[in-house]
Amino acid sequence: MAEQRISSIPQWKKSRVQWLIEIIIALGAILMILPFFIALLATFKPETEIIQFEGVFPRDWTLINYQKIFENSEEIPVIRWLFNSILISSSITILVVFVTSMAAYSLSRLRPPGGRAAFTLIVATIMIPGQLFLVPVYLILNFLHWLDTPLALIVPAASGAFGVFLLSQFFYSIPKDLEDAAEIDGCSIWGVYWHIVLPLMKPALSTLAILTFIGSWNDFLGPLVFLDSTTQLTLPVGIALFQTSYFIEYGITLAASAIATFPAIVIFLIFQKQIIKSISLTGLKG
Amino acid sequence: MDKTISSSRRHDLAAYLFLAPYLTLFAVFILLPFVYSLLLSLFRWEMVSLTPPRFIGWGNYAEALHSDYFWKAMWVTFKFVIMLAPMMLLLSLLAALGINACGAFRQPIYRAAYFIPALISVSVAGILWRWFYNTDFGLFNAYLSELGWRIPWITSSKLAIVSIVLMTLWWGIGGTTIILIAGLQGIPDSYYEAAAIDGAGRIHQFFYITLPQLRPILLFITVMNIIGSFQVFGQTFMITGGGPELSTRTMVQYIYETAFTNYRMGYGSAMSWLLFVVIGIFAVMQFRILKEQ
Repeated sequence: MAEQRISSIPQWKKSRVQWLIEIIIALGAILMILPFFIALLATFKPETEIIQFEGVFPRDWTLINYQKIFENSEEIPVIRWLFNSILISSSITILVVFVTSMAAYSLSRLRPPGGRAAFTLIVATIMIPGQLFLVPVYLILNFLHWLDTPLALIVPAASGAFGVFLLSQFFYSIPKDLEDAAEIDGCSIWGVYWHIVLPLMKPALSTLAILTFIGSWNDFLGPLVFLDSTTQLTLPVGIALFQTSYFIEYGITLAASAIATFPAIVIFLIFQKQIIKSISLTGLKG
Repeated sequence: MDKTISSSRRHDLAAYLFLAPYLTLFAVFILLPFVYSLLLSLFRWEMVSLTPPRFIGWGNYAEALHSDYFWKAMWVTFKFVIMLAPMMLLLSLLAALGINACGAFRQPIYRAAYFIPALISVSVAGILWRWFYNTDFGLFNAYLSELGWRIPWITSSKLAIVSIVLMTLWWGIGGTTIILIAGLQGIPDSYYEAAAIDGAGRIHQFFYITLPQLRPILLFITVMNIIGSFQVFGQTFMITGGGPELSTRTMVQYIYETAFTNYRMGYGSAMSWLLFVVIGIFAVMQFRILKEQ
């Protein structure tokens, strides 16, 4: 594709310009990735080498930072935070997938009276900046006695309009024939949803699930405001709070950060194509 | 006749049942908070004190508009947005154009490399850059010291916000780049071919084909960037904590401190609404400017 676009440029010039562009892009790519390597390598350094920077590579390779994480589970409960993060992000993902897929199915296929108005209202809230909800949602969660429990993060997460919007867009692209046929065959609406719609929606649902999981895994403000006790925190917020409020060794924080980052990167590398496609789509549809 | 009516009723009932779980959550965690926050902003209420909430009308808004701290935080936020938004747009557009011009097999690799920083939590990104920026043992100064330089990245009240912008560029550029690459690849090749036949050079093609075709996406990205960067919080909270001398305390951090450190719920809500209004004005302005051209 790119070849055709610049066909007006003479052959020798084209390759030279193209190589120059590619070299700049490659250097940029290295620059983007470099911080990860530097930080990852630093987790294998003893603390003295981190504070007294001498080079990117460790002089004395050590696993002491990771060891300390597992040994000091009383002081810095990284394993507990990891468990909390997994529990919260998975619950959010499952809840969001079910609740929003049912809503999107109803709004774009079953179309009850008033459905259009509801859809417009729901989609309009996407543009409201999240900071506006911070104080009132805190007070509502306080009223429900959900603060400082996983529920404080899990339940409100399923109210977001993004999923409904994304899945409704998807419904426009698949034909209704199959659902109609099933309904004529005497399938109940629930049966149609469960046996036909959900399997059909698999690509869109997995996109939503991946984006939701990564988003909630990395969420910062939510856990910071709605959780309080050390044992309840999620991994990213746990390390953040410990680093800013206590004197804690850099090596340990960096090692814990590596553990916190690992799942998101692995998920990305596995589902790369799908993630990139879905992010592109959200941009193009908007 | 009767049968069709009852079956369509059953159909509607089922539709409402499917909608019910989401609508309940939407009502409790989106609609209710929206209204609740507006009401709260009209009350004086310290959550930890025993004094019950008291209606004071526009009192909280007046207090904010007369407060130096409020304007300081608004100014810091504004500076951040003004520095970040154009740079983000320009750099991600250049990255997208560049990646799109690279060999087809290597494109996914570059794309992934530019996107990976966007995958990490702001807390991890903050931890890394706080370490890089450290004046005494940070990575940047370790290398710069060999040139005899020692830059106070996050300890100077002039420079700190710039350092936060730099870090945010690294962290946030990937998402926009991916959207722009998709936009570029959505432009039909025939447009370029026709232009080439007409003798249009590369620069001409960029301004007369690429940019106009990308406009809806550029509009979307700009508006989303503006909405997002006005709400900057995690980076400054992690790297500078709002310092030095409040030079990086943004609006959301100030709201956070007002509501959750001092428990002034009404005042915090009023400031949230003021920020909402500012974001709204900017978003609408972007729409106007980019739509009209």
